[in-house]
Amino acid sequence: MKLTAICAFLLSASLLPAGSVNIPFEKFQLPNGLRVLLSQDNAAPVVAVYVIYGVGARSEEKGRTGFAHLFEHMMFQGSANVPKGVHYREVESNGGFLNGSTHPDYTDYFEVLPSNKLAVALWLESDRMRSLAITKENLDNQKEAVKQERRLSFDNQPYATAIVDVFPTLAYKNWSNSHSIIGSFEDLNAASTADVARFFKTHYAPNNAVLSIAGDIRIPAARKLIEDYFSDIPSQPQPAPPVLTEPAQTETRWQTYKDPLARVPIVVIAYPGPKRRSPDFYALAMLDMILTTGESSRLYLDLVKGRKSLLNIEAGLGWPFGQPSDYKDPGIYGLNLTFNPTFTARQIVAQLEEQIARLRSTPIGADELERARATVRSMRIQSLQSTMTRASLLAQYELLDGKPDLINTELDDYLAVTPARIQAAAAEYLKPTRMSVLEVIPAPKESSK
Amino acid sequence: MITRLPPAILAVAASFAQTLDRTKPPETPPLAPYKLPASAESKLPNGLGVVLVEDRRFPLVTLRVAFHAGSRFDPPGRSGVAETVAGLLKAGTPSRTARRIAEELAAIGGSLSAAESPDSLIVSGSVLSENTPKLLDLAADIVRNADFPPGEIALRKQNRIQELAIERSQASTLAAEKLRAVVFGTHPYARSLPTPEAIKAITREDLLKFRETLLTPANATLILVGDIPPRQQTLDLIRARFASWPGKPVPPAPGGEFPKPRRSITLIDRPGSAQADILIGHITVNRRHPDYFPLLVGTNILGGGASSRMFDNIREKQGFAYDASAHNIPYKDAGLLNVNTQVRDQVIGPALEAVFAELGRMGSEPVTARELTDRKNYINGIFVMQLSSQSGVANQLAGLRLNGLPNSYLETYVTRVRSVEPDQIERVASRYFSPSDAAIVIVGDASKIAAAVGKFGKVTIEKAK
Repeated sequence: MKLTAICAFLLSASLLPAGSVNIPFEKFQLPNGLRVLLSQDNAAPVVAVYVIYGVGARSEEKGRTGFAHLFEHMMFQGSANVPKGVHYREVESNGGFLNGSTHPDYTDYFEVLPSNKLAVALWLESDRMRSLAITKENLDNQKEAVKQERRLSFDNQPYATAIVDVFPTLAYKNWSNSHSIIGSFEDLNAASTADVARFFKTHYAPNNAVLSIAGDIRIPAARKLIEDYFSDIPSQPQPAPPVLTEPAQTETRWQTYKDPLARVPIVVIAYPGPKRRSPDFYALAMLDMILTTGESSRLYLDLVKGRKSLLNIEAGLGWPFGQPSDYKDPGIYGLNLTFNPTFTARQIVAQLEEQIARLRSTPIGADELERARATVRSMRIQSLQSTMTRASLLAQYELLDGKPDLINTELDDYLAVTPARIQAAAAEYLKPTRMSVLEVIPAPKESSK
Repeated sequence: MITRLPPAILAVAASFAQTLDRTKPPETPPLAPYKLPASAESKLPNGLGVVLVEDRRFPLVTLRVAFHAGSRFDPPGRSGVAETVAGLLKAGTPSRTARRIAEELAAIGGSLSAAESPDSLIVSGSVLSENTPKLLDLAADIVRNADFPPGEIALRKQNRIQELAIERSQASTLAAEKLRAVVFGTHPYARSLPTPEAIKAITREDLLKFRETLLTPANATLILVGDIPPRQQTLDLIRARFASWPGKPVPPAPGGEFPKPRRSITLIDRPGSAQADILIGHITVNRRHPDYFPLLVGTNILGGGASSRMFDNIREKQGFAYDASAHNIPYKDAGLLNVNTQVRDQVIGPALEAVFAELGRMGSEPVTARELTDRKNYINGIFVMQLSSQSGVANQLAGLRLNGLPNSYLETYVTRVRSVEPDQIERVASRYFSPSDAAIVIVGDASKIAAAVGKFGKVTIEKAK
């Protein structure tokens, strides 16, 4: 023990440390196909229970936009043994928190609770996987709730319609990828209880789901509870996955959108991204780090502080509907640049292209790469401190890649990126002809006529 | 009377009984009390307090430098100095520009920031553990030497004035400002946001003087949590950077008498307001006071989240508002009870009546056993979950030091919450929740609501700023 500790210290003092966090986990599968990941850490009395289903907005059919999200709401309306309202009460009255979210490629649900309440979370998750209460009353009620959510969180918020409804139609040409994730009022109204029942039976089957638990558990006891609660839920035949291929982009796309709620202009930009987990994927992720992340990034130093042309930067692989960990092909590298209105959108895009040209023509310096590596490592390890993040990453890697071990190994793929790789990725992926630009122009109602 | 069943059915029934009853939530064991990880405390000769906590699960270190130096220390007529010092602490030192600080932080996978409250200014940081010495270099440089470059001051003032305009365009900000002024009177806790004029008036000398007087070793505690080097080595690292920091006498915290609570109604007229914001407050106690735990549980039963009485009555039963809640904010020398809801103009009268009734009921009848158990579990659940990360532990330790509480406070917290009795809640509620001496602030369109509000007593009407 002692010797190992000393060696580890000497190594970390003298060499570039590799990603040195190891999250232990065990994987098993129930006979009904449910995949389970358990990661034990008894240092704090907290447990996170996370369930991910392999269905999202990209599985929706024409005429049913917004259905995956409407269905997510239905999952909180009660089940055979859990009356309406009890799910929230059981979690919140114990100091826990819970939520669900709908993504292009999956839908997820979680509870984070004091660890003495693990069985409560499994009771809740298994009951709705087995016996969701699909009634007309619940459905009508949730249609209204989703419409209200759309009014409050999208229709009444600056930029939200532009980014959620318009931007995907510019960045993608295949309908499965480009339609609105929140959906239209017409399509929401058209959804029937039969649609909900069919969707539930097919997609919310245990063989299309991954359950993961991280935190203060004992593996044998947790395994027994899972077997008791989930084993008798029947599996279902799975449909062929949707075809998501995109045509190759050969010229710049540019669209303007007038936003009555915006006060400051933005440009939202997409480039078709590399294949998930390819070397180019990691190269572009490191490029993004150098270009846009933090107060020592190029865009912050040169455009926010230097030219004072940018006010805010958001960017990333998978932006705005995801992040690199849950990016799935076809994906994009997206940027959202809020800019000083004394500049034009064309000038801002030209300034971005100057920065990208620099990345194409000159390899990044050793110190800049070192900063990006330290930042990636730090962000990764910081995020793994969260019990909830450990549970969700394990399940996402299992669902999207079949490789939960990526939670421990993927950091090395980021750290292996070289300046030459970044330069090549800038040249191949960030060409002007692969760019889609949505220019959002503030257009207050009173002056729009 | 005995029904004969074939053996197979009996066996099925028996095995079912042994396995699961899905019809109700499973029985679970009680929450274990919290155990603080091993910690070590010491003091440098210049007075700097040091707390070290080892947690080797992740190769990270979390830092806090907590000063008794918040907005209550703003010089008279110079409101906003503490927040400007916090906002510009990373803006430069004689040996490092803002850019260099940002680059050095990125290179070590680190972060540093500072924030102020009425009682404190806290520098927060984190770093990959092998770079702990570098983070300490940067933290020492900014707290000892921050020199507030004039260009950075000008940029910050310009942006802050914009932000303040946006904050004051919200009714909730106006209500909160007024409530503090009424409840705390001439005590510095009465101040909240600075005015644009106060921001404009701040000089570089104000900032330097604040730093020189208040950011001093005997006024501070340095906390390191995480994968730190062995104790002696860590103490050597700290001494090398902080031992030469000259000790200075710690100035007393500006204070004064708190006014005696008395009933008042202030209506801030905001013509065109779409709804009426109701904020009701009362002076309460700090975390050292024996009333604190009964008050914590009682406030939660009254208005803590979606299972509270106010939410259930004002929102669910009456439908007056989207939200209705209550919480107690403890400061070092007193606390502030906040009870708030936002309602349609037409129901302002009945809504006020309903809120008063809930406040009064807390002090006149005992809470139910179910309410008490649920809320205790809720408070304790949140408490232990916050302590599961390095930053959660570091924040709690900083809070203990700033409020004069012992470490045992963390380990006895769960038990103290659990031991609160209904009669204690009733007693503190009659002391702090009584509408008869509450400060009532309403922000709304006076032409629509003044008459209805007038039925509750004498109303002082003020114009929104």
